[in-house]
Amino acid sequence: MIELVVHNLNKRFGGLHALKDVNFEINGPELIGLIGPNGAGKTTLTNVLDGAIKPNSGTVYLNGKRIDQLPPYEVARAGLGRTFQVTRSFRRMSVLENLYVPAFALSRGHSRAEIEEKALDVLEFLTLHHLRNEYAQALSGGQQKLLELGRLLMLDPEAIILDEPFAGVHPQLMKVIYSYIERVNDSGTAIILISHQMDSIFTLCRRLLVLNYGDLIADGVPDEVKRDPAVIEAYLGVDEEEEGNGQRSGGQP
Amino acid sequence: MTRSRIPQAAGLFLVLFFTIFPFVYTANDYPYIMHTLTACFFYAILASSWSMLSGYAGQFSFGHMGFTGVGAYTAALFSHYFYLSPVPTEFCTEFAIGDQYLVIVDAIGVTSSTLTQDCLRKALAVWDGSVQITPMPVWLGIILGTLMGGVFGLLIGLLVLPLRAAYLALFTLGFSEILRATISAEIAITRGQAGIELPYLFDSGITLFGRHFDKTDKLPPYFVMFFLLLTCLAIMFWLTKSKFGLFVRALREDQDAAAALGVNTTRYKVLVFVLTSMMAAAAGAVMAHYIRIITPNNLMILQMSLVVAMAVIGGVENVVAAAIGAILINFVLELLRNSFEIGPFVVDMTIWRLVVFGVLLMVTLRFFRNGLIAPVIEYFQRGHVAAETVAKRTEAAENAGGSA
Repeated sequence: MIELVVHNLNKRFGGLHALKDVNFEINGPELIGLIGPNGAGKTTLTNVLDGAIKPNSGTVYLNGKRIDQLPPYEVARAGLGRTFQVTRSFRRMSVLENLYVPAFALSRGHSRAEIEEKALDVLEFLTLHHLRNEYAQALSGGQQKLLELGRLLMLDPEAIILDEPFAGVHPQLMKVIYSYIERVNDSGTAIILISHQMDSIFTLCRRLLVLNYGDLIADGVPDEVKRDPAVIEAYLGVDEEEEGNGQRSGGQP
Repeated sequence: MTRSRIPQAAGLFLVLFFTIFPFVYTANDYPYIMHTLTACFFYAILASSWSMLSGYAGQFSFGHMGFTGVGAYTAALFSHYFYLSPVPTEFCTEFAIGDQYLVIVDAIGVTSSTLTQDCLRKALAVWDGSVQITPMPVWLGIILGTLMGGVFGLLIGLLVLPLRAAYLALFTLGFSEILRATISAEIAITRGQAGIELPYLFDSGITLFGRHFDKTDKLPPYFVMFFLLLTCLAIMFWLTKSKFGLFVRALREDQDAAAALGVNTTRYKVLVFVLTSMMAAAAGAVMAHYIRIITPNNLMILQMSLVVAMAVIGGVENVVAAAIGAILINFVLELLRNSFEIGPFVVDMTIWRLVVFGVLLMVTLRFFRNGLIAPVIEYFQRGHVAAETVAKRTEAAENAGGSA
């Protein structure tokens, strides 16, 4: 059973306080929405959890193991996977090879045949089976989103953070991705879902975290959070355009 | 699928061809052709290992010639400064190793008049032929050169970890130039621009296939370089098929994404630098012993551009294509040396051949992004993928239709 404990997390970029004493816990395979206006610190939080950037203070424990000072590859091996706001498939590698990368990086005594079988299963699950030998760049934008999800599944993760999995995705495919997310969650993986698509968030998530300028201003079930005056003022009341900036580390002012 | 076997068959044919060639070719220009082919193999090692580093792993480096220089100069300095003697010289720095003494000759500068200050010569004069000193084995120098290339590769690999694309290229260019300038400047040790001489690859000749070859014969170095090329290609080919190949390609495609998926990007970035640097250094050390003189100008950026161009024309993401590209280009460049006349005009091909080369490079870059040879290999190896995708989609559609 997964246990993620985030304690007093702080991150500053120069004068900007991107994360201010962020505290929350995840116990068990929850499906959590992380929302907030642009610049709220969602991607920064993701990058800190994933090890891409180090927090200025605070700790993150995953199943009792401290992960906030680990490099990304060790965080991934510890069981925390993430996708990126802008799709980052390995474009000039085949779809299968994209799945092999995390599987072989992890390689907990699995044979090549086992990994191959698992990759084919994942592709079957994501209906990308027929494209397995094509380069990832041949895939449509939506298919690349699925491929990213598939790569995460190869990690056997305890928890995954999906950064804008619905950005630029057709409503029909969105429904398909919903079902995948729910099935992955049902199989015991905790999911943090970052999205500006409120419909998706309220459809899928049973708990919401709301960030606003680095402050975690709400943490609760969707119905409560929806009525929270602070959240309405900060986010829900304002009609935000969807963002598309894919900054990674340190670049966010 | 048989079609995907064609590149392997062609590769096998090329290996057989180059193995048999020295025994069946008998024309008058035999030494010249053999020399050209040896140089071809040298460039093939550089181009293929550079393509592994830059095309395959995406670490675009201009320092490859520098690593060649590390190998060549390590071998040169080793053979120049170290000897074994059964008795102490009393003049040189020396250490007892078993019943022998490792003699380290003084750094004595460039002019022949200073040779009399050479501690070993003084000792030899005293001994007056009563003591035989032994030069260091050439193969040991080559191994040391290769290892030194690896050490430099490790250092550079660690230093460039956070650098990407253009910054990496500039950094490695800087490294290469610093190395060249240092070697040029340290005249007392390296003899600077005068160049440092090396012994023959096989100083007392070698007997192969029941035939004795003199130290000046072209066949032994031809095969040394050829087997070094095959070894490097075999190692790289094996690596591309292993986890290593998978990870360095992920590194090329997206370093952050690879790290987020559990790949220790630092380790693989450094590893690929070390491995390719060792290959460049080994080629440099062997080549230095073959041409028997090495000067800092061998490390010039012009040479580096030549290697880059060869790899680009062959196909920068495929080590074998890059090697074939290098062999072809170097050979054609040699053939193009023959000047000819068109009516009253004399076409001086020694100059124009480089223009031909430049045009070929530009055409390749503009119209054949992945080189001229790599797409051919890819055509045979991946040609079935599109058909397979279509077939699977049709099959899936039919199944869906049937169940509906």
